[in-house]
Amino acid sequence: MAEKRDMVQIEALEKYFGEDKERVHVLKGVSLNIPEGSLYTFLGPSGCGKTTTLRCVAGLERPDGGRISIDGQVVFASGERVYIPTNKRPIGMVFQSYAIWPHMTVAENVAYPLTIHRRPKAEIRQRVVDVLKVVGLDGLEDRPAPKLSGGQQQRVAFARALINEPKVMLLDEPLSNLDAKLRVAMRSEIKLLQRRTSITTIFVTHDQAEALAISDQIAVMHGGKLIEIGSPHQLYSRPKRRFTATFLGLTNLIDGKVLEVDGDSRPAKMQTKKGILSFIPAPGLKRDQAAVISIRPENIPVHKEKPQSLDNVVEGTVKEAIFMGDAYHCKIAVGDDVLAVHTHPFNTISPGEKVYLHLDPKSCNGLPADDTEGVDESMLGD
Amino acid sequence: MRRFNSQALILIGAILFVLYLAGVPLVMLLYGSIRSAPIGEPGAAYTIQNYVKAYFDKEFYFLLLNSIYYGIGTCTLTFLIGTFLAWVSERTNTPFKKLFVVMSLIPFIIPGILSTIAWILLLSPKIGLINIVIKELLGLESAPFNVYSMWGMIWAEAIHLYPLVFLLMSAAFRNMDTSLEEAALTAGSSTFATFSRITLPLMRPAMFSVLLINFIRGIEAFEVPALIGVPARISVFTTKIFLAIHQFPSDFGLAGAYAVTLLVISTTGVLIYGRITRGGERYATVTGKGYRPRVIDLGVWKYATLAVSFAIFFLAVILPVFVLLWSSFIPYYGVPSRELMEKMTFANYHYILNYPLALTAFKNSFYLSVGSATLVMLLTSVIAWITVKSKLPGRALLDNMTFIPIAMPGIVLGVSLIWVYLTLPIPIYGTIWVLLLAYITKFMPYGIRAASASMIQINKELEEASLTAGGTWFQTFRKIILPLLMPGFTAGWIYISIIALRELSTSILLYSYNSTVLSIMAFDLWEGGQYTYVCALGVLMVLLLIAMAFTARKLGARLGIAG
Repeated sequence: MAEKRDMVQIEALEKYFGEDKERVHVLKGVSLNIPEGSLYTFLGPSGCGKTTTLRCVAGLERPDGGRISIDGQVVFASGERVYIPTNKRPIGMVFQSYAIWPHMTVAENVAYPLTIHRRPKAEIRQRVVDVLKVVGLDGLEDRPAPKLSGGQQQRVAFARALINEPKVMLLDEPLSNLDAKLRVAMRSEIKLLQRRTSITTIFVTHDQAEALAISDQIAVMHGGKLIEIGSPHQLYSRPKRRFTATFLGLTNLIDGKVLEVDGDSRPAKMQTKKGILSFIPAPGLKRDQAAVISIRPENIPVHKEKPQSLDNVVEGTVKEAIFMGDAYHCKIAVGDDVLAVHTHPFNTISPGEKVYLHLDPKSCNGLPADDTEGVDESMLGD
Repeated sequence: MRRFNSQALILIGAILFVLYLAGVPLVMLLYGSIRSAPIGEPGAAYTIQNYVKAYFDKEFYFLLLNSIYYGIGTCTLTFLIGTFLAWVSERTNTPFKKLFVVMSLIPFIIPGILSTIAWILLLSPKIGLINIVIKELLGLESAPFNVYSMWGMIWAEAIHLYPLVFLLMSAAFRNMDTSLEEAALTAGSSTFATFSRITLPLMRPAMFSVLLINFIRGIEAFEVPALIGVPARISVFTTKIFLAIHQFPSDFGLAGAYAVTLLVISTTGVLIYGRITRGGERYATVTGKGYRPRVIDLGVWKYATLAVSFAIFFLAVILPVFVLLWSSFIPYYGVPSRELMEKMTFANYHYILNYPLALTAFKNSFYLSVGSATLVMLLTSVIAWITVKSKLPGRALLDNMTFIPIAMPGIVLGVSLIWVYLTLPIPIYGTIWVLLLAYITKFMPYGIRAASASMIQINKELEEASLTAGGTWFQTFRKIILPLLMPGFTAGWIYISIIALRELSTSILLYSYNSTVLSIMAFDLWEGGQYTYVCALGVLMVLLLIAMAFTARKLGARLGIAG
């Protein structure tokens, strides 16, 4: 694929909240580039700085340091004292509460970005009809905003953000106020809408399943810092940071120390309490470094007999096996540790049984044990 | 980069205006009270002579005692009436209690000067309707009641002021978590023990703050002391200040010294009040949780509480309104009789409508009422945005500045503004503009209260959505904030336009012939002994008030959120 240019560039963003003693450092030098036309997600637990970063892009928060540019235009630069106010930035935003103005009808809400720029009435009417068709709300023009359901309000919010054909769409946890079923339906709609319009979109969420389902790229954030950037698949199956592995989905962590390592993505060996295990090392992992192996519960085959000619086999005792319909969720004691293992439902398994777990080296990701250090450049995107 | 955009201009303008309105009168009052000569005269020097003259006068201590006596009497009586009605309507199963809220709000629409006049017409020893009727019925030698006494004054004031107590205490009863009482009951406490050991202590802060606010209102009151106290030779601070300026030659310095003293008393009260309520009460409408009050079954006693409640409404609403209406249709004042009934006439109304000043007074009052209500609400909407939504440094101070005038009794504000506009080179003294500024200053605290309470309820994202849609701050304020603020804006507007239309204590020191307002006209007619004309004027005033409140509600509903 041809190299796409970056629509949004964020460099070394710094932000503090509060004054004096209660000053909190919420963004600690966040830098990232968002390619044109992509659906880019900021993912992290609450308080990680994802919403603050988004609000800095929108101009709703004024950063204390760094630089932001949208479509090649610098909208904030602390050094040059540049600050373009929100209303002059080429953005559209969907808020967590949708922020549908209750004193207006659907059409008035949606038309607002055009009316304040005093566009001709005929043009406004036409574009409102068009954009409402896009979000599937045609015919509801004259309905008062308070008489809309949650899902409809969200569509109105999208229509309002889309109507001015922004360069960047900012979505601040837009699905968190919907019930579970609607959330799943809306998330595929958002993805389709984004594909169709190909507007660069930033999506903020704390829900990892949502992030995996919707994104082209995910930036995982934690404690005001960027942890890791990658495609959903990369981040899930080949995380490079311990935080990413634990935050995205379920995983088992096995502590140890690196014995041998020979460059990236070639099998390496680690000394653990369960013996020497082979694994795929994260970039930059060095010999003798404290590390963990992360392996997902669904990637651990269970054998009743000890398999021959396989690496990384450990012995364990089934503590618990809960039938979930699509799988058994098992807790299996291996030495002092308990590993979570998901097995196929055909594979009946019962507590007290002795089993052998195959920790396939291809599924074992070796990650630095210490996650608090700065981010290695090599981990930020490809 | 353009630094001074519309946002900066509006915000800075609003802040400076508030500082000017609230700060300058205070400074000038203090300045005036330490000047030796009247304003404008050459050779004035700094002096403490005014205070010496004020404090070493034996009369001063009578004044102080009278004022305190009057304040305590008023707050106690209003408290008893208002709390009783609030308890009956919130916590008992008395029939028709839904009506109480409406009936309690009616006295609110009757200007203080009219209610005072009504009570003179009812309780005066010579012409008082109640006195004459009781004298005849019981064959008494002399009148049983005399309104020209301290008790008469307290009664006339309290029966007018109790609706506020009713509203505040109803809210207090309503917002109390009744499970606290239920916990006491399940712990084996009797109904009475629960009331005295749980309910009462829980209500204590609310009760104390209500008492305090009515004490301040009693001490600041002007209408009753002026109309009843002055003929009865019972002086309080407000009338003393008024007389010091209305004597010839005016003693501005002495008035200033008294005014500062009164200001110190009322400010202390307001500060204590603020300390008790800690800002919680100010936003009571927002914090009001929907507890379901525990209703006490009174058994047959519910008819007793009903009877007492209706007796109060009869005294507070029906009698005064009746006496005003009756007097407005008769040629000379007298007890209703067949003879007088036959003489009923529109002559009083005819006289008022043809009175040379009447048209001016109606116009002035209307313009001032609508103008001050609109300007106050626009100003305080901007201020409320700053104090609630912005992160501007010093916004808490601005909030407090907007509240300063609440501690200023009307008569004190009048004295201060005399000083301001006789000293500063702004040629508006004696015009309607000085009244407009006075009204804006005086009603600013009510405006900010209504505007802040509404502003807090507006989700910040509604505003941010407009900014991200490309709206400027001014467009956002006009198209999003103001319409969403409409419920609070309208409520504040109605309240301010009503109290502006009946304002007397500040206007009376600042008006001139051309800037006469209705309440002043009523005051002058009364002083001239033209009782029936005053009543006709009063009825017209009340009709105007009702029409304005009604129109404002209609308009507000159309502009604001539908449904």
